[in-house]
Amino acid sequence: MASIKGSRRRGLALHVPLVVGTLISAFPFYWAVIMSTHSSSEIFSYPPKLLPGTHFLENVRNLFHAIDFFGSMWNSLLVAVSVTFLVLLFDSLAAFVFAKFEFPGKGVLFGLLMVIFMVPAQLSVIPQFVVMAKIGWIGSMTALIVPAAANAFGIFWMRQYMKTAIHDELLDASRLDGANFLRQYWHVALPVVRPGLAFLGIFTFMGQWNDFAWPLISLTNPDNVTLQVALSQLNGTHGTTDYGIVMTGALLALVPLLIVFAIGAKQIIGDLSKGAVRG
Amino acid sequence: MRLSRRGLLRAGLAGSAATALGGLASGCAVPTGSTGRDMVLWYWSGGLSDTVVKNAKARYGGSVDLRPIQIGGQYRSKLITTITGQAHVPDIAGLKGEDMAAYLPNADQFIDLRTLGAEKYRSQYLPWKWDQGVADDGTMVGFPIDCGPVAHFYQYDVFRKAGLPYEPDDVSEGLGTWEAFFAAGEQLGRRVPGAKLLTDVNGVFENVVQQGAQRYVDKDRHFIGDQEHVRRAWALAVEAKKRGLVSDLVSGTPDQLSAIQDGKLPSQLNASWASFDIKNGVPKTKGRWRVAQMPVRPANNGGSFLSITKACREPEKAFEIITWILDAANQAQGYVDAGLFPSTPASYGLKQMREPDPFFGGQVTTDVFGPAAQKIVVAYNSPFDVALGTPIKDEIKNVGVLGKDPKKAWSDAMSKCRRIAKHLGVSY
Amino acid sequence: MAVVEQSPPVVAHRPAPTGPRKGWRKYWHLYAAISPFYLIFLAFGLFPVGFSLYLSFHRWDGLGSMEWAGLSQYQYLLGDSDFWASIGNTVIIWALATFPMILLAMVTAVMLNSAVRFKSVYRIAYFLPSVTSVVAVAIVFGSIFSTNSGVVNAVLHGLGIDQVAWLNTPWGIKVTIAALMTWQWTGYNAIIFLAGLQTVPGELYEAARMDGAGPVQTFFKITLPLLRPTLLFVLVVSTVTGLQSFSEPQVLLQTSSNDSTFAGGPGHSGQTMVLYFFQQTFDNNDFGYGAAVAWGIFLVVVLFSIINWRLVQRRGD
Repeated sequence: MASIKGSRRRGLALHVPLVVGTLISAFPFYWAVIMSTHSSSEIFSYPPKLLPGTHFLENVRNLFHAIDFFGSMWNSLLVAVSVTFLVLLFDSLAAFVFAKFEFPGKGVLFGLLMVIFMVPAQLSVIPQFVVMAKIGWIGSMTALIVPAAANAFGIFWMRQYMKTAIHDELLDASRLDGANFLRQYWHVALPVVRPGLAFLGIFTFMGQWNDFAWPLISLTNPDNVTLQVALSQLNGTHGTTDYGIVMTGALLALVPLLIVFAIGAKQIIGDLSKGAVRG
Repeated sequence: MRLSRRGLLRAGLAGSAATALGGLASGCAVPTGSTGRDMVLWYWSGGLSDTVVKNAKARYGGSVDLRPIQIGGQYRSKLITTITGQAHVPDIAGLKGEDMAAYLPNADQFIDLRTLGAEKYRSQYLPWKWDQGVADDGTMVGFPIDCGPVAHFYQYDVFRKAGLPYEPDDVSEGLGTWEAFFAAGEQLGRRVPGAKLLTDVNGVFENVVQQGAQRYVDKDRHFIGDQEHVRRAWALAVEAKKRGLVSDLVSGTPDQLSAIQDGKLPSQLNASWASFDIKNGVPKTKGRWRVAQMPVRPANNGGSFLSITKACREPEKAFEIITWILDAANQAQGYVDAGLFPSTPASYGLKQMREPDPFFGGQVTTDVFGPAAQKIVVAYNSPFDVALGTPIKDEIKNVGVLGKDPKKAWSDAMSKCRRIAKHLGVSY
Repeated sequence: MAVVEQSPPVVAHRPAPTGPRKGWRKYWHLYAAISPFYLIFLAFGLFPVGFSLYLSFHRWDGLGSMEWAGLSQYQYLLGDSDFWASIGNTVIIWALATFPMILLAMVTAVMLNSAVRFKSVYRIAYFLPSVTSVVAVAIVFGSIFSTNSGVVNAVLHGLGIDQVAWLNTPWGIKVTIAALMTWQWTGYNAIIFLAGLQTVPGELYEAARMDGAGPVQTFFKITLPLLRPTLLFVLVVSTVTGLQSFSEPQVLLQTSSNDSTFAGGPGHSGQTMVLYFFQQTFDNNDFGYGAAVAWGIFLVVVLFSIINWRLVQRRGD
């Protein structure tokens, strides 16, 4: 009896803060729903509106009228899917090498990678535009995909992850079986780092999906932009913004992310325990 | 669902292939800059009347393919990037009034509109506005779109309740000096609890500066932000703060909009285009507003230009399109569609601009903005105005919002300006 | 960079037997495998980096011709009180966000590691904020933290506490930005910590319990030391990204059309380093100085990353 009571109390002590945390996490989403279901003037009234309103469909109509929502969403999907795929491939390959092999210049190359990681991304839009214009990629999605195809963050993350997730005995065994580098990567490394890859995949997809500054500059044709660039056109000329429509757009833009997340999260939540991060 | 590596690989390859194809397809579809018949026009949302642009496309469709493109986000940095990158430069580019000072020193990036016969249109446009589009060496870079005459927006019933003048003519006359304006603000605060005359002190400071012909740096690259015209604006802004006439709200925030809606901020000094912001931001206040002249004399805030870039292959055609888009009739349409107040006085008498506006209780607002637009004085805008005006505006904001001591704020602003001036090679 | 690799390599496959020429043939597949990142950097990153370095020794308005300025941009940078203030703002906001975030993330991870029921519901709920776009989140937080119509003040009012002008006072601004970051990234870091926690062998906890250690003692004696590699990753990434933050304050504090969107609110209280870079470059058209500011930011980020790395790594792994 006493022990059951004790474990119940312990359960309560765990669940109460966890539920509070869940509510705090969820509240801004709820608030976004409230904003997207009201007209702009209702949003600003006092006391604050606490329940969803009735303007959602009108906001959606206005949104679809203002921008090519699905066209730009397709572009965003194209970019995000391609980049995610390339990043997973290139970053995991590089990370596998940095985590598990020795070769001359390794320390210097990895140090260089970390330094590049710290260079402010906004450093220079103009020269990047010049480069892209020279090779004729301006205005096309290629200008967004290729430069993002490998990144320092992902290599850093996968390296830390692979250090412990991939056991050396496995590699040694596979080498004795005559497996070459690519076979080791494909048959030994990848299966065990799936959760780490899912994590990286989700964040790469999300980063591309929400990226704004470079697409804004490099996509010169408004009929062919990504979703975030299209959404930015909702901001008024003189700083006034219809928050109802903007929030509706932001919420709808979240839907594909949630789908990707639902697919990837299973991997992470199920299996991240198999590996861990090591310094 | 578990992702198999093979499945992932397949999906990724398919995605990449689709992208490559999509990229190619769009690469063909996107004409890059001017390619003979194509004429690319860049502007921003609300920068031109969509109706007029559509009509222009149809009207000139026989000779050129006009491709109007609305650019979102930071317009100027995008335009500068393409010009510097020398790729995808539009043929016709909208230029925002506040950015003109940055474009004019680089007039060689644009076609001098005088060479296309601009001079014969001059008499149809407001003289001060016309001059703003001309660089120091006489090169005409920008052709006038709209202007932003500043007037006094106020809520009729609240002014009436406060025992103040409430008919537009009476307000223009009775609140015609800053002293009378401030005194009215004090009366408003006494009679209507919690009401403030203005949102912030910058409303006073910047409007007073913009009423005059000088800004912060003169033509000889000399700092003049420490001179009488700025000191006076500063003193008036400080006075508004000391007499308790400004709110502690931030312009454009939900709090400010709700205060306006509740009649707690029944007055603002703002440009003609602000009427569209008020209509969108606080639609419930319909019918409560009137417009009167601002104290002393009108100021100008905003207003933009169209230019033809060096990348344009058919400047004559582009100029023809520009002059048509910006003629008096189409500018009147621009006012109806986008609140762009015409720079062509002939528009003010046209029917579209004589309509009583129910949002303003049936007032014909052109009667206020039209005369105001014609009284604005030409000011010299230096490319260094932003860098050297910002510290002063920041410090007056500190006085207004954070309650900083005005003397300390002024001396901080001046020492910062001195440092920046030295850095930028502006004499102090 | 010596700091990067302090622990001995885990596996030394095929110890290099002979000279460098043979080495290349032996290792070429490894170089090929890591090459995409460096090739992409060479193609698209090196020129911009070099160009901005070149730019920082010039004056340039973005359109006209460049003018040689020598070291004057950097000299001015050293004495630029606004730049130093922006460093201060960034570091304060970063600290206000990062330390509570890491603490909360660890506590959450420990709780999630032991709570059995509804585990996946909690994890999804905590992970969700991090996949949301900052712009949308900032608009929502702007509404929630409004002085008069915001929920936060409504709650404070209900508790009998005075309203706080969150977005109009220096500390209010910083706290609001930090709250936004904490909200967005706590769950993300908790999931990373959870991954680290789950590699701790259960026998270790068992042994600790046998020795009569309480949960707090267990945490400090066993959990924390084993979490250090994870902590290192979390700290370095939050430092690099946190010190380069700008969308949060930009969207949160952009107001009327007359204000620069890069000013960071009243008294520049929310102006981070990157916002200051944008202001100099795009508001003032001072591209040369902007480039110098960017290199200043880079140095600050590197410095902080090294400090963090040393702090966490010091007691040796």
